[in-house]
Amino acid sequence: MPGEWGNLPRVQAQARQNISSMPDATQPDAPGHRRPQSVPVVRAPAAPGNWLLAHPAQQYALVFFSFVAASLLNLSLVDLIGYQAVALIYLLAVVVLALFLSRGPVIVGTALNALGWCYAFAPPRYSFHISSFYDKMMVVTYFAVALTISQLTTRLRAHREAVARTKLVAESERLGRTLLNSVSHELRTPIAAITSAAGELRASNALTPLQKKLTTEIETASTRLNRVVQSLLSAARLNSGQLRPKLDWCDIPELVRLALRDVGDLAAAHPLEVRIAPGLHLAKMDFVLMEQALANLVANAAMHTPPGTAIDIMARVEQHELMLQVADRGPGLPADQMERIFDSFHRVSGATPGGIGLGLAIVRGFVEAQGGRVSAVNRQGGGALFTIFMPARESPDIPEEHT
Amino acid sequence: MNNTETKNTCSALVIDDEPQIQRLLTITLESNGYRVATAGSGQEGLALAAQRRHDVIILDLGLPDLNGVLVLKHLRGWTQTPVVVLTVLDEEADKIEALDAGADDYVTKPFNSGELLARLRAALRRSDTGRLEEPAFKTGELVVDFASRRVTRGNQPVRLTATEYALLRLFIQHAGKVLTHRHILREIWGPEHEDDTQYLRVYMTRLREKLETNPELPVLFHTEPGVGYRFVEN
Repeated sequence: MPGEWGNLPRVQAQARQNISSMPDATQPDAPGHRRPQSVPVVRAPAAPGNWLLAHPAQQYALVFFSFVAASLLNLSLVDLIGYQAVALIYLLAVVVLALFLSRGPVIVGTALNALGWCYAFAPPRYSFHISSFYDKMMVVTYFAVALTISQLTTRLRAHREAVARTKLVAESERLGRTLLNSVSHELRTPIAAITSAAGELRASNALTPLQKKLTTEIETASTRLNRVVQSLLSAARLNSGQLRPKLDWCDIPELVRLALRDVGDLAAAHPLEVRIAPGLHLAKMDFVLMEQALANLVANAAMHTPPGTAIDIMARVEQHELMLQVADRGPGLPADQMERIFDSFHRVSGATPGGIGLGLAIVRGFVEAQGGRVSAVNRQGGGALFTIFMPARESPDIPEEHT
Repeated sequence: MNNTETKNTCSALVIDDEPQIQRLLTITLESNGYRVATAGSGQEGLALAAQRRHDVIILDLGLPDLNGVLVLKHLRGWTQTPVVVLTVLDEEADKIEALDAGADDYVTKPFNSGELLARLRAALRRSDTGRLEEPAFKTGELVVDFASRRVTRGNQPVRLTATEYALLRLFIQHAGKVLTHRHILREIWGPEHEDDTQYLRVYMTRLREKLETNPELPVLFHTEPGVGYRFVEN
């Protein structure tokens, strides 16, 4: 794929740039979704659109200069065009300021210009007193026009900024997704090639017993490698906020059955016992994410407990919460590490080697993304108990039919 | 693994941009009696598909030039040749989109060749039978007599509700093919219930309880997580 892969470094650079310049408030931060520490959060620029002077002092200085300039211009023109027309030049100055500055400086400028006109131009000149009713009306109208325009331009600017920000977020999400898809493709294509080549070797029926054994080793290794890649990509998806859970009504017994199928040989050395509360069927969740979360818990239990010890998988509803539990009879969890057991790359000291310390972090990420939570405690009588809690909702009615 | 059923009879078109996957698919397919043509891009694939008739098309969804689903839509504009799509994990939305756009099946990378060949055989079998024109259907213990609307399992009559029967009929009509949740809900309950997955969950459980030998380990109605269901003949 020369085209796409040739472009990868460029896409990557763009993605990094865009993500780092993403405003703070736009980070996806759904309720219950803990923002992982690893997401780069860099202070956002004051606002997109750099024609806006950033510093307030600069803005006030500009207001003052424009007032002086308009006043000098007016003083030289007043004999030619009359004192009422110079008010329009002051107004023009304010309107131009409103296009570029934020509201505070514009209001100050409006007042400054009004005072300047009252003092230097409105009869009697060189006093703040205004004698004619029409001139008073003019001051009021001038204020109304200037403030209205400043209000309108502020709104327009806010709107433009919001649009620009939305675009920026969409763009950086798109780039993040492209990058993740590229990495995913690059990692999985060789694994697919290895798996498929090993499969063909095995199927060729021309292998010596030794070659057959070696082929099995290749297959086992590529399966394991695929699992690791799958974990890394899941974690990357979680960390980059690319996860979009699709909550649907799911059948709990089916979920448990498929999760155990995914675990497969990993738990072959353990008797598994499934206990699902009678009548418990439907729950609203993302089937694929929950299947993975539950499978990870069972695989974790199988990996860290001695062969032959039982693993229980339980599901029930208690106090408006659905609980999916995986309990083992292994050594249990060290008391000082309960909190950190769900952290990425955290490994309990003295734990069985194997695994990269992402399984439980993925469980928590997937569950919290769906609005649930997880817990780990030690069981009475020994062993660890992991629980996934999900808000239980009333199952919807299904119309009854007769045969 | 060599399959005499397809020996020297079928031609397959592989549309995938990865040369290594192309090579391996060619080896696998040729050693199983397929004639193979390969295309490295969506455009090339469409051109090859138009040039010559192929019995089955294997299409990678992640192509550099055209989105695989777009290729699929172009193809479905003029041909009903079975299409099996190659995807990677985590892409349920893509799988659903491809199936709704007319793909016959999907295989998730990394796949083993046995799985791919089985899917290809099923797709080929489907393309040459008008299943519902047969008066009856039989697989394992299950017999469905369409004329009399009678369903039996191991010679025992099974009583199905109208909806359950309609669901079963839909699955038999598309045996071996993945039906997406939306597709099934639209067909059986109507477009206004497209998102009411609870109906489907409940009825699939009932159907399994009535028709599977062991509902705990279903062999007829397979769940495709996050995508849909597949009815599998034994």
